[in-house]
Amino acid sequence: MASPKIQNLSIIFDLHKSMAENQVIVAYEGELNAKVTQSVLSLAESNLDQKNVATQAKRKAFNIALECLQNISNHGDRSEESPNCIFIIGQEGDEYFISSGNTIKRDKVEMLRHKLEQINNLDEVGLKQLHQQTIKESLNKKETNNAGLGLISIARKSNQKIGYQFVNVDSDNAFFTFQASFLNNPEPN
Amino acid sequence: MEKITLAGTFETPSIVLDSSKGLLEFSGRSLPEDSSTFYKPILNWIDQYISQPTEKTEIAIKLEYFNTATSKVLLNMLTKFEKTSNVTVQWFHYEEDEDMLESGKEFEELVNLPFAYFRLD
Repeated sequence: MASPKIQNLSIIFDLHKSMAENQVIVAYEGELNAKVTQSVLSLAESNLDQKNVATQAKRKAFNIALECLQNISNHGDRSEESPNCIFIIGQEGDEYFISSGNTIKRDKVEMLRHKLEQINNLDEVGLKQLHQQTIKESLNKKETNNAGLGLISIARKSNQKIGYQFVNVDSDNAFFTFQASFLNNPEPN
Repeated sequence: MEKITLAGTFETPSIVLDSSKGLLEFSGRSLPEDSSTFYKPILNWIDQYISQPTEKTEIAIKLEYFNTATSKVLLNMLTKFEKTSNVTVQWFHYEEDEDMLESGKEFEELVNLPFAYFRLD
């Protein structure tokens, strides 16, 4: 009998414990395309249902997850060494986190960083204006960059600053980590 | 004109386009990544319809989820009706879904059409 590929089977138990402790609702590591996006979303939806998450929080989590996955699927780059991305929905008390990581070309980093800075510097009213302006502009263009509108939509749903980081992987590629979070039933200010 | 009825899927809405009643209805969810390909036949139908519209037109949007790719198509679609007379947009949202109600108000700001708001149960 061939020996198992994973020599240290306890890694599975450790991973399981760590995910349970961190209240992971969905975690996916692998390649992402339209079909996988649909499967991950479907799994996210049924896991959110099972956990009796409040309807409004479930809708927010689903919406943010959807835009996040489609951003990666449409705009992420696959380097030969690391074709995979990671996607996690987690919970900590009343706070929900949608996190992802994917490879992008280093020459896109500044453009994306600029977009995210712009979004994080805006308040609710500013984000609404940017949303309206961006969607109006999309009418006049044939091919539009959806990432802009998707990120704005995520920021508006989450009502908190987007967390992000870029780490250079090699001369061409960087790894982009992203996190949006929101509070279920936030207290009015 | 041919009536179009599409059954919804996990990521595409149920659609009814009925020129005899002047009714266009979209319900369920609209999440396709490639929204322009999915909506192309719908937009073609609309182009044909507005060249010879029914006396009154009702556009009912009963979506629980739509992605940003769909929101661009929706804006394009609604804008097409701006020069047609007697068009109303009926925007539905679930009771506790304030974000969807807000979305409707934002489309109302962007297109020159009357909107009416309703709750879905």
